[in-house]
Amino acid sequence: MSFYSAENLYFSYNSTPILQGVDLRIEEGSIVSLLGPNGTGKSTLMKLFLGLLSPESGEVLLKGKPLQSYSIKERALHVSYVPQSTQVAFAFCALDIVMMGRIAFESWFQKPSKKDRDLARAAMERLGIVYLEKRIFQTLSGGEKQLVLIARSLAQGAKILVMDEPVSGLDYGNQLRLLETILKLSKEGYTFLKSTHFPEHALMLGGYTYALKNGHILAHGLTCKTITQDLINELYHTNIELKQTVCGYPVCIPSFVHTTKMLEVG
Amino acid sequence: MKNSFLFGMMAVLLGVSLLISLALGRYEIDLGTLTQLLLWKLLNIGTAPKEVMLLSNIVFDIRLPRILAVILVGAALSVSGGAFQAMFVNPLVSPGILGVLAGASFGAALGIMISDSWFGVQLFSFTFGFVAVLVALGVAKIYGRSGSQTILLVLGGVISSSLFSALLSTVKYVADPYNKLPTIVYWLMGSFSSVDMKTLSGVAIPLIFSTMALSFMGKYLNVLSLGDEDAKALGVRVIWVRNSAILLATLLSTLTVVVAGMIGWVGLIIPHIARFLVGADNRVLLPMCALLGATFLIIVDTLCRTSMSVEIPIGIATSLIGIPIFVFALKNAKKGFA
Repeated sequence: MSFYSAENLYFSYNSTPILQGVDLRIEEGSIVSLLGPNGTGKSTLMKLFLGLLSPESGEVLLKGKPLQSYSIKERALHVSYVPQSTQVAFAFCALDIVMMGRIAFESWFQKPSKKDRDLARAAMERLGIVYLEKRIFQTLSGGEKQLVLIARSLAQGAKILVMDEPVSGLDYGNQLRLLETILKLSKEGYTFLKSTHFPEHALMLGGYTYALKNGHILAHGLTCKTITQDLINELYHTNIELKQTVCGYPVCIPSFVHTTKMLEVG
Repeated sequence: MKNSFLFGMMAVLLGVSLLISLALGRYEIDLGTLTQLLLWKLLNIGTAPKEVMLLSNIVFDIRLPRILAVILVGAALSVSGGAFQAMFVNPLVSPGILGVLAGASFGAALGIMISDSWFGVQLFSFTFGFVAVLVALGVAKIYGRSGSQTILLVLGGVISSSLFSALLSTVKYVADPYNKLPTIVYWLMGSFSSVDMKTLSGVAIPLIFSTMALSFMGKYLNVLSLGDEDAKALGVRVIWVRNSAILLATLLSTLTVVVAGMIGWVGLIIPHIARFLVGADNRVLLPMCALLGATFLIIVDTLCRTSMSVEIPIGIATSLIGIPIFVFALKNAKKGFA
């Protein structure tokens, strides 16, 4: 029985085919990175995994059962969504946003219980952002917003996090810190499905990689085996060299960077 | 803590406005006599004041039904305005966004033209308020699932509002200019002067119920204001919540038109002032909207019926008072309309 998987997914927007027969398997506690050029259907695929869209044919299975057979509340107990950006028009503070992760557990007239509040605080504590709790969400920096949204997922209690380009718009330091957070949470048993524009980031996190192009899976498997020089060049129409550093860590070097010349200057 | 203090203050303010409004009018009653009358009549304490029959008639039969209607309408408009602002994620939205006010106005005008009974007018108004919202929802539905549902709803509302405004103009054009047209025009400017116990008892229960139900939806509206996908992923049945909110807000808005005609601005400005006081959390905001809206409308209605020898239509007064308040509220709006 697969933990979380998609079988032969087809999807189109207004008769433009987006996904044409996609299979994807996610094992419990693993990190799955989705690579692929812009407009190739990464976001669509993740929305199908979240149940926000329904496939034309094929299905998404969660713990062996079709995702459609879960109620929207049950689904929220298993799977949570960390969107690329959340537009918040009204001035909610960070704790309010994290508390919203608990809404599936409250009934209509119920106020959030102390337990819900404690869970929200604990989630913020785990990510080291308790100091943000009173701050207004839209005044936070991109990195802080992402952490608040991850805290919301943790408060929701779902063990699977679906993240749409989590590092987009973050500065270099915040990108690395976010990747570190993902790695840490994955070691605690959380499962990640995330899209990324950076093959290097997939390599840093390890796990599995699926490369998506024109609605098909071009390659998939263990990240370190799947991401090759040829794959990257085919996927993005680039001309890079994938080189191993002395300690064996792979780095991408674009052809316009002349390493020998740099050595000369250096 | 700060919030409970604010709620306490606003409740006291509402009570004081209610008392003052009961005392003021063509026949002025001093507050001492009024208190004596209320205590005697409601709680059986103390003695009856002089001219008790006359006073009871003025206070309980004439002024109280009107003031209670004002409270309910003020609360209804403000809560539905606040709820729609959260739902459409737009602080410039008012309760009329889906065409309900235009539809109800058209219905009332049509009713005045072809029906002789006041009940007929109210029935037409109520029906067409709902028809207008259905038109807006229908237009949004034509374009189906693609694109943002809220934007389609706003466009549907714009179309529906324009349609019923045009139909209203048609009714005005063909209505008898000596008997019917002045009634239509005066009625569209809004007034509580025709409210009696019968009207009040007909609308009170649905108004109270819907205002409370919508206030209780605060936490779902909070999540809805993050966008549909976020809300769904958090486990909220978005379509169900949105349709319930639209139904309740439509019921509230049409009933306000049935009771008192068109009263603009209340549903737009009160949520801003409330947000300024208690923040954006709809669980707190919507009850505060109800309190503030009721108090605001009592004050405006009292001014309308006492400041000049003839009564000022309340729709005109709310606009004239509302616009400067709105400009002030915008100036003070913190980032994100706090």
